[in-house]
Amino acid sequence: MFSLIENEVIKMISKKRLMFVFAILVVLITIFAYGQNQSLAKTKAQLSQRMGVTATDDWRKLADQQIITIKNRLDSPYMDEKSKSSSRVRMEQLQYNLDNNINPLEQSAAKFTTKFMEQAIFLFLPLLIIMLSSDMVSGESSNGTIKLLLVRNVPRWKILLSKYLTLMVLEVIVVFFSFVASAIISGFFFGFGGWFAPVATGFKVLAGQLDSTGVRNVPQWQYSLMVYSLAYFVAFVVGSISFMISVLVKSTAASIGIIMSTLVAGNFISFFLSDWKITRYMFMVNLRLTDYLSGSFQPIEGMNMVFSIYVLLGWAIASIIISFVYFTKQDILV
Amino acid sequence: MLKKSMWYTILTIASVGFIVLAIGFYQAIMVTTAVNPQPNPTAEVPQTIPDSTQLPSKNSNLFKVLILGDSVAKGTGDEKGKGFASYLPDYFKNSTSKDIVVENAGIDGLESTGLLEQLQSQNLDKPLADSDFILVSIGGNDVRSILSLNNLAKEDQFKVRQDSYLANLEQSIKAIRKASPNSFVIFIGLYNPYEKVNDVEDIRLLNAWNYDTQQLIEQAGQGIFIPTSDLLKFNLGRYISKDGLHPNSAGYQAISNRISKSVETIIAGASI
Repeated sequence: MFSLIENEVIKMISKKRLMFVFAILVVLITIFAYGQNQSLAKTKAQLSQRMGVTATDDWRKLADQQIITIKNRLDSPYMDEKSKSSSRVRMEQLQYNLDNNINPLEQSAAKFTTKFMEQAIFLFLPLLIIMLSSDMVSGESSNGTIKLLLVRNVPRWKILLSKYLTLMVLEVIVVFFSFVASAIISGFFFGFGGWFAPVATGFKVLAGQLDSTGVRNVPQWQYSLMVYSLAYFVAFVVGSISFMISVLVKSTAASIGIIMSTLVAGNFISFFLSDWKITRYMFMVNLRLTDYLSGSFQPIEGMNMVFSIYVLLGWAIASIIISFVYFTKQDILV
Repeated sequence: MLKKSMWYTILTIASVGFIVLAIGFYQAIMVTTAVNPQPNPTAEVPQTIPDSTQLPSKNSNLFKVLILGDSVAKGTGDEKGKGFASYLPDYFKNSTSKDIVVENAGIDGLESTGLLEQLQSQNLDKPLADSDFILVSIGGNDVRSILSLNNLAKEDQFKVRQDSYLANLEQSIKAIRKASPNSFVIFIGLYNPYEKVNDVEDIRLLNAWNYDTQQLIEQAGQGIFIPTSDLLKFNLGRYISKDGLHPNSAGYQAISNRISKSVETIIAGASI
């Protein structure tokens, strides 16, 4: 079993596909980091022009003033508890910036790395995973090598399982690589620090409204870890689904086409069918898991982290079962 | 051989990575589902509205001002942390011999809907009934979000926002009048804090907003609308705070000065 997986992994590496994925990541991260750097410089220039002073040495005053304001706000008896906890969190962040001399305008490698995955999780990362997964089985059918695999004295389910586990290994590698690459590349642009800055999280939805009572700060490294873990979960789910399609469909092109169009459609499906409750059970709608962390989601009653994870998990498990049942029962006629 | 060592590297990274990611995944679920993970000690202090019954009621030698509304009312942006609550007494004390007491009930980010809810919750009934003057600033947050729209959408959205704002304000003033029939209402008009938003269309909208508000205040009687857009228009650098939105200390003082000049005789009349 172990040697089967090793065999599959080496096959994937020699196919150069993994190298393509890495190359795409490196190139895109470099471009994004450069772009961020440019727009940051522009914002600073605009700010210093508008305020008449350089924003770099002026931010302390502003932060001091904001802290005073928040303190006043917290003392006011007319504030409700909801807004108080977010004020408290905001004050902690400002205080941290002051204590550690961090200009809130500046980017950091940690911020960029987190932001990158938050933006990549619903389309870019799934597409990279599809590049790897969509021809794992159908590729063998297309070029006929599946015969050579199946004539070996190994049960079919073992062959498929080794392929599936290989996919899971590669998913970890891709997520890990995108973390390392974006931390290092953006580090050259923004400096390597920022991993201990506080980030607010812990939002909930109560009665269709964003509830910030439980908001608190976690260090950026922990936040980043959570984001990348959710990214891995998304990779696992999308990988499973596209793996199933690659089992069901003989041609690699068709396999890539099906899963890609589904994903892209998912990005606007909720826009057209927002009143139709069944859309929330589609996996594409639930891919933006990181939004639950950052509180930047549209609060919809009934949709929360646990719901989305259950839906995604349901899709993944169903896909795995279908893949195995179909692969062990089908007649291979190549 | 190279492939063999590569396989081991990949396997190590994958297994370590998997464990780390599993921990992160668990944390992510905990953080989004846990019920109030950190019960804040301060959160458990019961929120008591300051008991106005302790203060001697009207007709005594106190002159009471209640401040209602959004962040401008509250004094946000003042680098000294003061705002109207501490400048108004300075300017009013020349006109009255009574001691001036200010109650600040302003809330950052309050919209007109929020003000109406606040008034209808009857938490404020007691302070309302006691006050001689009521300073109101509201509407800035209602109108702020439409500024970024294009002109066509802006026009439509503006109409919608303004209608709901005016309806809320009318109800709010009724509620104030009901709780406090004899007080005098001072309404702070909207100003434009943005230098770049200066096309005629935007100014027309701002003026329409202020004009309709003023009409409403005049209809209700016993109140005054204090314009601020003219005062701040060419003084943004001097009067607007670093956040680019609220007045700074000098700005609050300038507006307070204007208010005190407008209502001098009324204060004098009320304090006889």
